[in-house]
Amino acid sequence: MHNFKYKYFIKIVLFNILIMNIYCTKEIHVQYQVNSAYIYESKAQKFKNKNEAEYISILYTSLYQKAIDPMELFQAQSVLYSIGDQNVAKEMLLSGYFNNPKIIIPSNADMRKDIPAFITETYKRFYLRYPSEAEKVYFTNYIKNNPEVTVELIYTAFSTSDEYSFY
Amino acid sequence: MRRKEFIKRSTLTVGAGIVAPYILPSGRLFAKSGIEKAEHVVMVMFAGGVRQQESILGRYLEDSQGVSGVAGNIMPNLFNGNAPTKKIVYGQDIPGQTRGSDPIPRLLTDSLASKGMTFNEVRAQSAGHYVGLNTLLTGSMSTGQGLKTRPSSPTIFEYLRKHRGFKATDCWFVGNGIGNSTPLLNASTNENYGLNFGANMFIPPITFGSYGQNILSNSKPYSNNELKPMYEMKNFLNNSFALENSRQTTIKNTDDERTRIKEFMRATYTKQILGQIAMPPAAGSTDAFNVAYSAEILKEFKPKMLAVNISEVDGCHSNFTGYLRSLHRADHITAWLYDYIQTNIPEMKDNTVFIVAPECGRNLNPNPILDENDWMAFDHSDANSLRVWSLMVGKNVPKVSVGSEGNPIGRLTDLVPTIADIFGVYDDVMNSGYIDPMAMSQFLRV
Repeated sequence: MHNFKYKYFIKIVLFNILIMNIYCTKEIHVQYQVNSAYIYESKAQKFKNKNEAEYISILYTSLYQKAIDPMELFQAQSVLYSIGDQNVAKEMLLSGYFNNPKIIIPSNADMRKDIPAFITETYKRFYLRYPSEAEKVYFTNYIKNNPEVTVELIYTAFSTSDEYSFY
Repeated sequence: MRRKEFIKRSTLTVGAGIVAPYILPSGRLFAKSGIEKAEHVVMVMFAGGVRQQESILGRYLEDSQGVSGVAGNIMPNLFNGNAPTKKIVYGQDIPGQTRGSDPIPRLLTDSLASKGMTFNEVRAQSAGHYVGLNTLLTGSMSTGQGLKTRPSSPTIFEYLRKHRGFKATDCWFVGNGIGNSTPLLNASTNENYGLNFGANMFIPPITFGSYGQNILSNSKPYSNNELKPMYEMKNFLNNSFALENSRQTTIKNTDDERTRIKEFMRATYTKQILGQIAMPPAAGSTDAFNVAYSAEILKEFKPKMLAVNISEVDGCHSNFTGYLRSLHRADHITAWLYDYIQTNIPEMKDNTVFIVAPECGRNLNPNPILDENDWMAFDHSDANSLRVWSLMVGKNVPKVSVGSEGNPIGRLTDLVPTIADIFGVYDDVMNSGYIDPMAMSQFLRV
């Protein structure tokens, strides 16, 4: 009886050693990191046309920093659809948004304080890309040479332009 | 030798400079062919499916409900003939009396039929609404035309803008709703025409209804000068993006035209609030609303071509009494629009051709749905649905009545060639390759 217990004990120990050799491996500490990548769009990649709902909700969020009410979205969508020239429709919609005091946009003074930074931010805000050098030069000169140009007019030009209708 | 070369080149350059501004979008120097018959065309698409029996044939309840002795004309402004004398339910309501017992007072002293050219029995190309509307606007058979897509053949607006050189604000389509394909009828997908030649469009029940008031009436007024920098920057951005024609998503106006349209819209919202929109005396229907705003567009833009769609008679699918009332009201509002042009728009008064035609007819036999008077309703799918009429009145339109119940003459696809004929571009349109081969100008059928 005593012999049997001893043999049995030895067997269990050997079996455990075997198991541990097979299944236990050294713990490796893995750390994942994110490689920096250029995620901004280029205008050449914009092929899909935004539908009315996409256009309005993106624009609204961009100008008010909050989501549009579903009923207002539905009404605005229907109204855009009811007008033949979408440029007319969008310019009217925009000027209505600019007439709302709750709009969150930079002031004209802020714009003129650092025009190149404003231009870059505007391109990122509306086109999700950086301006080319030519675009930067054009807008810098245009804003400098035309004191009547306001943030409102620039935002209207961007958000009713062809590129803003595509993604 | 050098001097000769210089003289030759400078002569060519100067010549091109003089001529270039007059080249039409079609590439031609001047509009080809015919003499212009009138400067404006207004077409009322009297849609919704109209039976010959209750409209031009003036049979009221006789050919629909099996009642005898109750014939009569319920469209007195459009057609000749005495009104019914019994079972009057197509008019307005008077408290305490039978519903619809008060017919709307007649607006025109002489019916449109007696003033111009009536095609009494015309062959429609489809028993359905959308293909019918396509037929009226494209002059093509529209076979294989999908729903919820733009017409595949060019519309009359595109023909006129391309071959006659009209501006976008010269051409208007006024729709009655944003359902189905209605808001897509202002331009086709045709690669040789398309959105670049499309018409401006409003759907008044939406654009100027409560949605439009809520969303757009708060817009800021800008002067043309204030907007100039915005347009310059926008044009720079658009040139930089260089959107190809095949990816265009909208018709385009010039910067000045856009400003004008926006001013018009703002002014219209204000007039609405002040209750200054001119309305037909018996208003109160979507069709009346549509026609009233068409009148506003006509007054402001004096367009060369305006097509307005009405459709309330389509209630005939389930309510025959309602259909009779809608027919009677449609007659009233159509006459009001005609009269409005004569009395309120002097530039168009003696210079316009006014056209009225349904897009399809309705069945000979009823469906089993009964209305408040136990009258049966009618759908549109059989041969009777291909029977329609057309009316044309105005400058250079002869007074003549063509065809009859047993003698159909003409097709609905004739209307686009007819309008092309009025504007002197008949050959261009007929040779485009998209017109129904059996269609021709109604002026040539007389």
